[in-house]
Amino acid sequence: MSSPFPPAKIDKDTMDHDAVREQMELAAVEPHGLERLMAGDTPTAQAVAGHLAGCSACTEELARLQRSAVLVRESVRELPSPDLKARTLAAIRAEGVLRPLAAVAGASSAGSVDPGPAAATPSLIPASSPLALGRRRRLVPVLGWVATLAAAVVLSVLATSYLVGSRVDSQLASQAAAIKGLQKITTATLTVTAQPDAEHVALASTTDSEVYGGITYSPSTAELVVVANGLTPPPAGLEYRCWVEVGGARQRVGKMFFNEDLAFWVGPAPAIAGVSSGATFGVSLVDAAGSTVDTDPVLVGEL
Amino acid sequence: MMTGRGEPTDDAAVVRRMAAGSEAALEDIYDRYASAIFAAAYRLTADRGTAEEVVQETFLALWNRAESFDAAVGSLAAWLHTIARTRAIDRLRAAGRRPSLVALSSAAGSNEDHTQTLERLVSGGAVMAGAQPPASPEAAFDSAVRHETIARALAEMPEVERTVILLAYQEELSQSEIAERLGWPLGTVKTRTRRALLRLREALGTEFGPAAGLDVIPVPAGEDR
Repeated sequence: MSSPFPPAKIDKDTMDHDAVREQMELAAVEPHGLERLMAGDTPTAQAVAGHLAGCSACTEELARLQRSAVLVRESVRELPSPDLKARTLAAIRAEGVLRPLAAVAGASSAGSVDPGPAAATPSLIPASSPLALGRRRRLVPVLGWVATLAAAVVLSVLATSYLVGSRVDSQLASQAAAIKGLQKITTATLTVTAQPDAEHVALASTTDSEVYGGITYSPSTAELVVVANGLTPPPAGLEYRCWVEVGGARQRVGKMFFNEDLAFWVGPAPAIAGVSSGATFGVSLVDAAGSTVDTDPVLVGEL
Repeated sequence: MMTGRGEPTDDAAVVRRMAAGSEAALEDIYDRYASAIFAAAYRLTADRGTAEEVVQETFLALWNRAESFDAAVGSLAAWLHTIARTRAIDRLRAAGRRPSLVALSSAAGSNEDHTQTLERLVSGGAVMAGAQPPASPEAAFDSAVRHETIARALAEMPEVERTVILLAYQEELSQSEIAERLGWPLGTVKTRTRRALLRLREALGTEFGPAAGLDVIPVPAGEDR
């Protein structure tokens, strides 16, 4: 860059080179600016015209400016707006197909989709969406669960502290139970995620989009954490039972416990030991006195 | 055939990753082809708003129909351009307009020769114009190189200068309107506009040389009129 662009001295009788060029350059960027400037119907335009009439250098500069301005304008107008990418991605998020679900279904049925290394990057589907059926998301989502649970524990402790200081009633006992449950989930989640082979699988409802969940497990240690949101407590005589299906055979795992709106199960699950791709994890509403888990699942995810 | 970074054979793999739900893959494809698609749509419709809608609809179609892309049938660039052209024609018909005539010289994308450009346009049913090449000295310039030169210069200049140029050329705002839009003093807008234009002219002059007649003629020394 060479010129500091001194202020223009606009005087129709004595306009100097710099002032003329400033007027020409600014006009070149305006819509039809150079045409208007050359029309000479303003005092400034008349001063420019007067200067150009006796200055070959500025006249040549005008010709060069006209040529370059046309090319620059044409090229710039053919560039997409900087924010078009963000708007396009937003439109696809709003209107596009639910790609991860379609991809999982397509991969399992036709084997034609190769997720590749970028498949684990954030998708257009919210991580918490029940539609992210069977999509494995490690580390970040798991830590997200842990963070959420830890925050809930902290809030519960604070609430309990307040209650202890003010009154002792049945709500205190309920809060204490909730804290205990959340602590158990948090501790187990941290333990499982510390394993090098820890996996997280989203669980989706087969009937209700408001119900979703996830499991975190380690095939090597068989430790399992199951968490679900939106399940209604089971009617009397029934319970939500977890299971793992391998080769068409289901193995019982554990019974879901309820903590306010959160349902969970934590503990060792031999059925998950050494499990590989192709197995299915599910939660079904079953007879509490029975031993089968063959009813339709309310939550399911592909391992 | 391809435009932008990456290799043609990469396209199929990136589309597969996108089909598996990778937004990063979608962005990769956007970065590779969006500019060329926008430019083609703009040339056809002569309207930036319509061209932007065509780009959005094209990439939405890509996202929704990724499984139908077959690299053995044609390149991703050709597939995207065909979708874009169809969407552009649909919009023109809806508005009761005819597509702009497309000169071969102005329709060429980056890294495309005329044969490739012709094949792509004909496969999409483009209306070709028998226009003469641009007059001298513009005839000396390859439009794709110029396009990339300007894009690179814009990307490298300070954001405040890029902003005024984009508002001036893309939205056709006057300097007063830009000052009002951005809340900047008019003098600041003028200064930044001139600096931005100078950078662009320097880029063109550097790329195409003094003979192109695009660089700045210095102010005559020793004169004061």
